[in-house]
Amino acid sequence: MKNNEQMFDFWKLLEYNDSMISQEKLTILTESAKYDVSCSSSGSARKNAGGIGNGYVAGCCHSFTPDGRCISLLKILLSNDCIYDCKYCPNRVSADVPRVSATPEEICELTMDFYKRNYIEGLFLSSAVHKNPDYTMERLVLVVKKLRTEYNFHGYIHLKGIPRADERLCREAAKYADRMSYNMELPSEQSLKLLAPQKSKQSLLLPMRQLTQEKRQFVQDKKKGLIQGHFLPAGQTTQMIVGASPEADGQILRLTQALYRNMDMKRVYYSSYIPVVHDALLPEVGAGQLREHRLYQADWLLRFYGFTVEEIVDEEQNLSLEFDPKCAWALRHMHLFPVEINRADLAQLLRVPGIGVRNAHKILQARRYTRLTFEDLLKMKIALKRAKHFITCDGKYLGAKNDTTVRGLLIAAENGENAVQLDVFGALPKTNEQKIMLSTRQNALMALTGEL
Amino acid sequence: MIYFFEETEDGFLTAFLAAFQDERALFAAENTQLVLGEERVYLQTDSLKAEKARLRLQSFDRECLSDLRLLLRCGKTDRFQVAFGYLKAVANAKAPVRARLADRAVFIAMEYVKKVRYEIHRFHGFIRFMETASGALYAPFSPDNDICDLLVPHFRARLPAYPFVLHDVSRKKAAVYDGEHVFVAPLTQAEVVLSAKENEWQGLWKQYYAAVNIPSRERLKQMRGYMPARYWKFLPEKNENASANR
Repeated sequence: MKNNEQMFDFWKLLEYNDSMISQEKLTILTESAKYDVSCSSSGSARKNAGGIGNGYVAGCCHSFTPDGRCISLLKILLSNDCIYDCKYCPNRVSADVPRVSATPEEICELTMDFYKRNYIEGLFLSSAVHKNPDYTMERLVLVVKKLRTEYNFHGYIHLKGIPRADERLCREAAKYADRMSYNMELPSEQSLKLLAPQKSKQSLLLPMRQLTQEKRQFVQDKKKGLIQGHFLPAGQTTQMIVGASPEADGQILRLTQALYRNMDMKRVYYSSYIPVVHDALLPEVGAGQLREHRLYQADWLLRFYGFTVEEIVDEEQNLSLEFDPKCAWALRHMHLFPVEINRADLAQLLRVPGIGVRNAHKILQARRYTRLTFEDLLKMKIALKRAKHFITCDGKYLGAKNDTTVRGLLIAAENGENAVQLDVFGALPKTNEQKIMLSTRQNALMALTGEL
Repeated sequence: MIYFFEETEDGFLTAFLAAFQDERALFAAENTQLVLGEERVYLQTDSLKAEKARLRLQSFDRECLSDLRLLLRCGKTDRFQVAFGYLKAVANAKAPVRARLADRAVFIAMEYVKKVRYEIHRFHGFIRFMETASGALYAPFSPDNDICDLLVPHFRARLPAYPFVLHDVSRKKAAVYDGEHVFVAPLTQAEVVLSAKENEWQGLWKQYYAAVNIPSRERLKQMRGYMPARYWKFLPEKNENASANR
């Protein structure tokens, strides 16, 4: 009896050991993949068809790392053995790092076992360009196809596209993946030439355009009932490195807007440059987190707030670091404010600094039943630190008296100093207001003479 | 007047009817501080009355009962008081009130509903299954709200072939899916024998968690905001003991 049990365990061990990835390999292939920003698992409603897994339209985070990022997908490279020599990349061919490749089975088993334990929402598979683009893309397609057909996996798959690979491989991949992404890497052709000489704008835009057009066609045909199946249900995304090359925010955001409009991108990610590699062509210091943050704020304004890039920033300029882009816009357009909370339409509410999409809708709903006062807004937990300078409630205004003070207070708010608590039962005490003006006059002057 | 009642939906609705005209009604929950001099009523659950209340409330707002069901699962001790305030607002308005956020009672009720919904969403991600020797999956956790059975549909849809147990350790109950049926049962301590490879997979997961982090960008406050420390106890990547050789 005892012997039998041992035999059983032995066979089980054999079966597993074939394809369980080693800790070392996992570490190398993860560390090579971790600088990719995207980890979203939203947008796919794929159903479970008799196997394991399904899509979660809203997306789902499974853990958070000490750098504040979420883990939603198992983000890993199939191989870090690269023939390209992109200056900024830790895996470039000229770098002296250990090279490993995982087998398709290792990736599949890892995905299945992590998924089953609810560690992850799916797989984010990418690869260094191993041997040549076609070979690499073939391997990637092999893994996702295996996962879908042999392992019967219906969870989320995000696949990174390899530029210059055959368009048929790209099409095949789109049948199995939920989302694909080709990274723009750098916001201009010149920078690509300098820092990623084997990639060109054309080699990146071509497959993106192909997928966009094929997806549009697929959606039409599916509506007519001509075809079934999937074609990138969660669309495409892309990513740009910010701060490794000299492009201004204005230029970056113009590219972003074009990508949203012409390529149906779901998201454009910005990754502020982290100097992991030293090269004479690269800056020695990383781009600040704040710059990345401002770019995302502007990106949100483009997608959810009805702004155009021309309203946000000039082509050759950077976003203000002192104010968020909406505040900066509002300060340039003070003649449009204050707006009356009880009358302003959605578009107007969305342009008030400090009022987001959710709160704008909350206000629209609540004011159907009562005339909203500042007290009501506080009860609804709507933050007024910024907004109070740009709105009236039932005719009452609680903001600062002149534009200079507004600027000062907004900078203070941005710096996290709780400048003045809003007193709902009266305007600001005068002494307090003067004190604030004095303490931030220098800031205010800087703001006046600065980029605004 | 202080109302004591059975803590079920029927029990609560019985009390709701009894207290409806009472401006100063207090709904007792576990560890309620008894106010001196207040009268007390102990109510016997009346399912017929409760059903009547349900029908009436439903005629004002078809969705308000599902709000109520989430409210009653909230882990806050004043949930019954809040639920009372909310249903009273529905009954007075004779219409849906969920958008009337300037009304304090409605706002708080909606906050509580949101808390419960948000925690359900969070645990769709934070549940950690362990594979047992029989192949069934076992996940101990300790949520703020009473939600273990509300998580079942999600996991059942994605893991239809795997029996699983979602064990709410602090409420000593478990939602069980046996591969076909779903039921809730009291469960104090589970005897679990882990599969041969479970510890190795957990080890790989911890390794992955460590490798995917960018140390030069530490933002602990952010991490804690998204994943509060009270949930860490059952996450292998955050707690060495979570592998729990139970």
